[in-house]
Amino acid sequence: MFKKLIQESMGKSPWLFHINAGSCNGCDIELVSVLTPRYDAERLGFKLAGSPRHADIVVVTGPVTKQSLPRVLRAISQVPEPRCIVTMGSCPQSGNVFRGSYSVAGPLSKYVHVDVDVAGCAPKPEAVIDGLALATQILKEKRGQMK
Amino acid sequence: MSPVINALSYQHFPIYAIMVLFLGAFLIAVFGRNRTARNVLALLSITASLAFILALIRPVMLGGEIIAYWLGGRVPAGGYAIGIALEVDALSLFFALIVAVAVFVSGVYSIQYMRHDDNEREYYTLFLMLAGGVMGLVLSGDLFNMFIMVEVLTFAAVALTAFRNTATGALEAAFKYLVVGCIGSTCILVGTAMLYAQAHTLNLAQLAQLLPGNLNTATKVAFALLFVGFGTKAFIVPFHPLAADAHGAAPASISVMISGVLTKSGIYGIIRLTYFLFQTMNLGTMQFLLVFVGSLSMFICVTMALAQHDFKRLLAFHSISQIGYVLTAVGLCTALGVSAGLYHAMNHTLFKGLLFLAAGAVLHETGTTDLGKLGGLSKKMPHTTVLFLIGAFSISGIPPFNGFASKWMVYQATYQKAVESGNIGFLLVTIIALVTSVLTLASFVKVSQSVFFGQLPKELEHVKEVSFGMRLAMGIFALLCILTGLFPGLVTSYITEPAARAVFSVAQYISAMGFDASGVAAESVVSFAHVGVWEPISWLLILCIALLAITIVAVASKYDNVSQRSGEAVDTKYELFYGGEAQEFSQVGGGDLFWGFKHNWRGYFDFMYRLHSGVVNDYALWAVVDLALVMLFSLIVL
Amino acid sequence: MTIVISALQYLGYVLIFPGFLFCFLAGMLLCGIDRKLVAKMQKRVGPPVLQPFYDFFKLCGKETIVPASASKTTFLMAPLVGLAALVVIQLFIPVFSFSAFSGMADVIVILYLLLIPAMSVILGGAASGSPYAGVGLSREMVTIISCELPLVLVLLAVAKTVGSALGTGLCFSLSDIAAYQAMHGSLITKISMLPAAVAMLLIIPGETGNHPFDAAEAETEICEGLLAEYSGAPLGVYKLSHAIKMLTLTSLFVALFLGGLGTGFVALDGIILFLLCVVLTAVSISFVHAITARLKIEQIFKFYWTLVSGLALISLVLAWYGL
Repeated sequence: MFKKLIQESMGKSPWLFHINAGSCNGCDIELVSVLTPRYDAERLGFKLAGSPRHADIVVVTGPVTKQSLPRVLRAISQVPEPRCIVTMGSCPQSGNVFRGSYSVAGPLSKYVHVDVDVAGCAPKPEAVIDGLALATQILKEKRGQMK
Repeated sequence: MSPVINALSYQHFPIYAIMVLFLGAFLIAVFGRNRTARNVLALLSITASLAFILALIRPVMLGGEIIAYWLGGRVPAGGYAIGIALEVDALSLFFALIVAVAVFVSGVYSIQYMRHDDNEREYYTLFLMLAGGVMGLVLSGDLFNMFIMVEVLTFAAVALTAFRNTATGALEAAFKYLVVGCIGSTCILVGTAMLYAQAHTLNLAQLAQLLPGNLNTATKVAFALLFVGFGTKAFIVPFHPLAADAHGAAPASISVMISGVLTKSGIYGIIRLTYFLFQTMNLGTMQFLLVFVGSLSMFICVTMALAQHDFKRLLAFHSISQIGYVLTAVGLCTALGVSAGLYHAMNHTLFKGLLFLAAGAVLHETGTTDLGKLGGLSKKMPHTTVLFLIGAFSISGIPPFNGFASKWMVYQATYQKAVESGNIGFLLVTIIALVTSVLTLASFVKVSQSVFFGQLPKELEHVKEVSFGMRLAMGIFALLCILTGLFPGLVTSYITEPAARAVFSVAQYISAMGFDASGVAAESVVSFAHVGVWEPISWLLILCIALLAITIVAVASKYDNVSQRSGEAVDTKYELFYGGEAQEFSQVGGGDLFWGFKHNWRGYFDFMYRLHSGVVNDYALWAVVDLALVMLFSLIVL
Repeated sequence: MTIVISALQYLGYVLIFPGFLFCFLAGMLLCGIDRKLVAKMQKRVGPPVLQPFYDFFKLCGKETIVPASASKTTFLMAPLVGLAALVVIQLFIPVFSFSAFSGMADVIVILYLLLIPAMSVILGGAASGSPYAGVGLSREMVTIISCELPLVLVLLAVAKTVGSALGTGLCFSLSDIAAYQAMHGSLITKISMLPAAVAMLLIIPGETGNHPFDAAEAETEICEGLLAEYSGAPLGVYKLSHAIKMLTLTSLFVALFLGGLGTGFVALDGIILFLLCVVLTAVSISFVHAITARLKIEQIFKFYWTLVSGLALISLVLAWYGL
């Protein structure tokens, strides 16, 4: 009876957890500025959560360095289903300028299934919101497919 | 035929209750080498004592009778009481009931708890002597007999404190207790001697007849001596550091006795002294003395407890804090106040006993009571955790347990007194009491997190649940806590109210012994109409309905269909969140907690730390200074 | 037959008004209005007013993970007990002249009952075994200690004022306080009660654990503190408890200071109560949230035990001497 309601709500209240996987901080600043009054992602229900257990969408920035890889994977595994993984910026997508370095463990898609890529270096806030909205849609579908 | 009936008449039950404990002690000293004989004898004597006391409830408490019993049949001759008397009114029976129950449960607990110790024969002998001494104290009607019993119980308690004499600090704690305990006993002896010299009698009833209105300097000094002497037994401020030492070093079953039974004997002595012997409680200044000492004990001990890092010392400080509640309520000299104080005394024995037994269970299994070294025991000792939580909620005063019922009555009493007397000081007492209550809760949250919740250290992986006997003992106390909390109306009307009435019926006390009570000042009209007893049943019913409704909704929407780790497979999904790092041992407990509070009060805690030096000479000095101050006070005021 | 009818009536009180359904709807609406107001004060659009409902149902649809080092029963039962206790407290608070069960409990009982939801959060966090929960419960307990003293002083001040008017000395019964205000006008119209009212307004964000007194669940410092390991429906129940606590404390303020005759119609009284709660939330929770930074735990303690207690003490002394 509440299944429809729950599915609708899943699309209206996505909580984010942000992981910095060795990023230069440019994308991190852009992500935080998306949540500030000028772009105000909170009107779509986005909220930054402090613990991965509270999160629905995991936003990963930075080329996944060898040191941060196990920690990123552990934090992602602790996020409850249904979850959506969004990579922000082109670093986690392809490595960007750091590709081939001795300390970079490669694109994130080698290790986990990535749902949305937001390209750019750093992506514009509008692109970030667009990507997050798309992730919310995917989240709704995943919820619909759950038992 | 008639001697047999005579011997079984309930008039003899008080002396039987005392003698069966002493007899048990002597028999164990003789036959105690055999473990079975020892256990059987101990259980028999404590059960018999409990049975005798329970049988007395109907005539004395419900029937309102006062049993006057002359040992050896030596009735007064020539108007003066020569023989030793036992006088059992509702007040004595109330305290005897508390003692009997505590002794019974502690004895049941000891059987398993002391299993691994040597010298068990000596332990049971001393334990039964201690029990007999306290029983003799509360049932006695003669001042010097009270002193003898005080000596018996002091020495038994000191010996039992040092029982595990190979443990660090045990002998030192016993020595401190011995020194200040002896100062207290000496005060009682000198006070008794002075009263005897003035009144030529040692019988409590006769003293109550002769003393009031005839106070001279000697009797006033005697009052101060007796007050300080009984105060030492009750461990009120400034004798509270000894409580911490004594409880910390003693085995848990003895801590139950010291905190639940010995302290009550001190309170009993103070009540007899102020309400019966001297009948000075209607003086505002006397009320001030008791309320002031009680409030100080309440507040100082609870703040000291927050700074402790040993489980049993923390419980000991809380014990004295709750005794502060009792003394404050009793010192108000109103029907509601005395009733509330006595109710809280009973509840205190129950929940404090439970908490000490839980601490003993933890010590038995893990070998330590250091809060910084324990953690996560709820996984290994689930029953002990639940029982401990019942005790913790009771002492913090959370409804529907018994602590709330009696604390509610104490608050009613204090602000009723504030309104009646127009004195804003009593309002301050109410505020202190309420704040102390929440500080008690904080302390027990700290203990729960440090001992039972949190993370299990590697060294404690082998810990398992305690044996059934110990859990049974704890369960008895827990059940009593819940019952006295759920039915405060029944408890008040059948148990505490008769005792409170007895406190104000001095004339009946005197005449029961056969002395003339016509000179006694007319009983102040003390109204026993209670402001309203807390009715938890209806509230609990609503809570249960609400909880049931919510649980039904939750279960229907598959709330408990959770994902949990199955088997021993390592899966990072079920590890704790450490910012992405692998899970490692990091227990937050003991001294790590309540930093904000301790930081704000650092001046106060520094001062307290320097004061409580641990040196017994300082404590003896405090005792002497306290005695001097109380003497001065009583000379001026009485 | 009458027993059945009154049993059904009481069941209605527990489940619908002022019980569970009312608490759910009104509490969540208050929470949503609070977020919207904070957003407006920060010159942005902010989430829709129904956002807490979406949050709650979303959390019901998430997977609940029980960490390996947690004790499952406590972990799952603690939120439910806290919620039940809060609903019961709400039942004891009168809605102007209508009282469901308020003859049964006085303010001292409510003071102690307010400890039960706090204990449920603390025990739930402790049961999870996380070190963040350990730090969180320490801070939560210190916050509770801080709020207790001023709350006691405020309650005593109100009790003395009403009690001396009624001649009974100190009056703790909420229904008597409501009756007094129905006859003599709201307590906030008395000058001596103003400091106590201001103190109570400052106590409300502390008791609910809202910004700036939310050191206990600071997201950035201790990763949500007590609730760090909670996910899914139990987390939703905790968020619901938080919202209902806002409703409970603001309606307690209304019952103590803004009481009065009411309209006589229960439904209309309920709506007026809700509107007053909205205004109070705006003043004491949203406004303070928008203009302050988070206080450190020792600053919280000092603030409550000096400034707020001082205000309440002024009221108590004035009330005691009959001014």
